[in-house]
Amino acid sequence: MNEDRKRILGMLAEGKITADEADLLLDSLESGAEAAAPSTASSASSDWPTGPSVSGTPKFMYVKVTGKDTVDVKVPLALLRTGLKLTSLIPPQAMDQINESMGERGMSFDLNNIKPEDIEDIITSLREMEVNVHSGDGDDIRVFCA
Amino acid sequence: MNAYLPPLVIDVRVREENARGFRIWFPFFLLWPLLVILFGFMLVVTALVDLALLASGARYRHYTLLVLGALRLLADTRGTNVKAISDDSHINVDIY
Repeated sequence: MNEDRKRILGMLAEGKITADEADLLLDSLESGAEAAAPSTASSASSDWPTGPSVSGTPKFMYVKVTGKDTVDVKVPLALLRTGLKLTSLIPPQAMDQINESMGERGMSFDLNNIKPEDIEDIITSLREMEVNVHSGDGDDIRVFCA
Repeated sequence: MNAYLPPLVIDVRVREENARGFRIWFPFFLLWPLLVILFGFMLVVTALVDLALLASGARYRHYTLLVLGALRLLADTRGTNVKAISDDSHINVDIY
C-alpha cells in the first residue's frame, strides 16, 4: 500500500473525512497514477503519421512494431540518401566483398547498380511503399515513409 | 556546412512503473573538438592518398569523399527517434 493511500485511510479512520470523500480521493489517486504510468501501446507516438504521405517528398522512415511490446523508430530519410550516395564511393574491392557477403545471406543485390542520379527517384518512390508484417506470435510490423 | 554538423545532444528518457525514471541529456557537442581533430587528421591522410593514387593513375581515388560522406552520415542521424514501450517501462531516445 503506498503512502497516499495510507494517509487517506488514516484520515478516514480518524474521522477527518467521510467514506464518500475517501472514496473520491482514492479514485482520483488511481486515475493520477494511471496518468503518470508509462504510456500504453496505443498512445505511443500519437503525433506521428499513421501511414505513408500521399504527396511531396517523404522526410522520415517510420518503423512501428506493436504486440506485447511497442517499438517505434523514426529515421530521417536524409540518412538513407547519404548512405546510398556513400555506396558509390566505396572502393571496388570492398564493394565486391559487401556484395558477396550479402549474397551469402540471401540478398542477391548488387550495390553497384545504385547510381547517384537515381537516389532522388528512389527516395520519392518510397512514398508509395508500405510494408506490413503480421508475425505468428502476434507482433505487427509496419514500415512506411512520410 | 550546416549539413555536416554532427548531433548536438542525445536525449535518453527512461520511465519505469515501479522505479524512479531518469533522463540523460548526453552533450554530444562536447565531443566535437575530438571529432574535428579526428576528421581533420583523416582528411589530410586521405587527401595525400588520393593525390598519390591520382599520380599513379588509379581509377579509384575517392577516399577523401568517403570520409566526408561518413561525416555527413553522422550529421544525418539528427532527427532520429526511438521509442520502446513495454508493460513496465518506457524508453525514448532522441538525437538532436
